[in-house]
Amino acid sequence: MLPEYAGLVDPVVELRAACLAAVAWLGETGPVEVVADAQGRRVAEALLAAAGGLVSTSSTPDVVETPEGKAAPEAPSAYLVVANGSARRGEKAPGHLDERAAGFDERLGRALRGPDLEALAGLDEGLGAELLVGNTTGLRELGGLLTAEHRAMVDYDDDPFGVQYWVMRWQCES
Amino acid sequence: MTLKLGRHEFADDATLMMAIVNRTPDSFYDKGATWAEDKAFERVAQVVAEGAEIVDIGGIKAAPGVEIGPAEEMERVVDFVARVRAAYPSLVISVDTWRASVGRAVCEAGADVLNDAWGGADPGLVDVAAEFGAAIVCTHTGGVTPRTRPYRVEYDDVVASTITDTVGYAERAVAAGVSRASVIIDPAHDFGKNTFHSLEVTRRLGELVDTGWPVLVSLSNKDFVGETLDLPVGSRLAGTLAATAVCALAGARIYRVHEVVETRQVVDMVWTIAGRRPPARAIRGLQ
Repeated sequence: MLPEYAGLVDPVVELRAACLAAVAWLGETGPVEVVADAQGRRVAEALLAAAGGLVSTSSTPDVVETPEGKAAPEAPSAYLVVANGSARRGEKAPGHLDERAAGFDERLGRALRGPDLEALAGLDEGLGAELLVGNTTGLRELGGLLTAEHRAMVDYDDDPFGVQYWVMRWQCES
Repeated sequence: MTLKLGRHEFADDATLMMAIVNRTPDSFYDKGATWAEDKAFERVAQVVAEGAEIVDIGGIKAAPGVEIGPAEEMERVVDFVARVRAAYPSLVISVDTWRASVGRAVCEAGADVLNDAWGGADPGLVDVAAEFGAAIVCTHTGGVTPRTRPYRVEYDDVVASTITDTVGYAERAVAAGVSRASVIIDPAHDFGKNTFHSLEVTRRLGELVDTGWPVLVSLSNKDFVGETLDLPVGSRLAGTLAATAVCALAGARIYRVHEVVETRQVVDMVWTIAGRRPPARAIRGLQ
């Protein structure tokens, strides 16, 4: 996903397209706050930039100039969580096969779709680390950001390299 | 600067494969395998399929041998150039000749490049290139007569001589009206050089690249490879590719070759190591 790792042929055409469309959609509503680890933050900023020159709230100054004078920037109205499922889903996966990966991802996928706030907030960080889940902490945080009024839209759900990816959007229906 | 080869243009970071197509009964590597016109045409089809951007058609072998006059040389190459032009409109056609009269005839038949392997022996060749908007390859031979072998040649500094002569030839071409974007320099390994000279030119190829003129290298299966490894023609591919890698790292742009596929892989690999080309498809460790 990072431009500095681009080859001549994109190995993740569909995934990238889904990410860019979702991020563009997110940017339409206003300032975007990123929930990610350090590497995920680079991915988030790259996607935001590629989706039309967007930037996250953490990349905007603490104080902005307005016609009325200095003011705090607009509060975030959207969140971009960068995470992924297990990277141990097969023998060719980056972390080789761990038999527990499929079950973990299945439960996680169900919790994301629900959304099941309790299941997300209660994700096992230790198991997540063992299964090379990208950013279990961020997924737990997602459980705190979502509400019972949110409905999930699944744009992508696949594991092309033995790593489980979802591109999902949640919108509050109330 | 964009490289302009007759009707074709290439970006300034592109590397190009120039495949050798001999219309000769006696060239050192293929020994007449493509002497028959249809065999030569099959060779063109093969190298195009293998990804060559340029074919270099030659009617006279470089080594000494039976004298071939201009009329005979034209008979070997002119109609063939026209046939290739008609069949492959997007292919760059180069003709390996030192003679202005042959150059004129092949340009009329559709050639894009005049590859003068003999360092400007015929001063009229640059005028033909200018007249037809063709590119020209300016080689270094140390001033020898065409189709002679080097014999006890000495240089104070072979690379300095190579730069002086090729750049001088390039400037002569521009003065004659050839576009600056259509001039290429070639140190001409083995031409007017013993093996030590060719090895030094290879080792210091970056100095030629630093002149700013695009550099062509013609290394394929040559004697400097054979003498270095003590291997006969037919067993020199690995040595050729090693020399190719060194020249690619230094920044050579055009590779005159017998083996297109292998050379393309080596050049792409080295060009990518040098940071001038992205990997084809990178996912390892990035999933």
